[in-house]
Amino acid sequence: MAWREKQAWLALSVMVVAYGVYFALVAGERRSMLAMLLLFGGVAIAQAVVMIVGSIVLAARAGKEAQARADERDRAIDRRSARIAYFVLLIGMIMVGVVMPFSEQGWRISNAALLALVVAEVVRYGVVVVSYRRGWNG
Amino acid sequence: MVEGKITNQLRTLRFLAGEMTQAELGERIGVTRQTIAAIEQGKYSPSLEAAFRIARVLGKSLEEVFQWTE
Repeated sequence: MAWREKQAWLALSVMVVAYGVYFALVAGERRSMLAMLLLFGGVAIAQAVVMIVGSIVLAARAGKEAQARADERDRAIDRRSARIAYFVLLIGMIMVGVVMPFSEQGWRISNAALLALVVAEVVRYGVVVVSYRRGWNG
Repeated sequence: MVEGKITNQLRTLRFLAGEMTQAELGERIGVTRQTIAAIEQGKYSPSLEAAFRIARVLGKSLEEVFQWTE
């Protein structure tokens, strides 16, 4: 498995677990904005720590491959994933910024914005993983 | 639109070029070993520039390495 694919798997897994926990807790009970902010801060720090440690471990195991610059296939996959994720984020932000202010409270809007970001990132890493696994011809 | 796909003789030509490894070929044209493997498996179509580089390294014409199969 390519080093960059392993990195994408790591980022995807950490993202799904970290924000899966966050949204499960937020949806589970009513919290104040401050409590949600602290929870989000904790999740973001935990995500960053796991990503840093995981990346160091993966780089150590990959050796020389981890130091190689991205080649044309890596860049093509990156462009494709970013383009698809951009549209996901765009739709999410239209919902959050244009539709939700008419009907929802502030905490819901904040969390919906965060959810849009998380979904876009999950889509981005998902497309990277699928492109490395199944192939990229385009 | 004309239907078809790009196929290649990379594996055979690598073997004929002194059993050149995927890593060696990749290093000479500036891509990773995994990208050479993906090209061989038909999972990735290289850029025209990379295709020319591969052909040059293997000492073949572009058409001898890559074919258009309908």
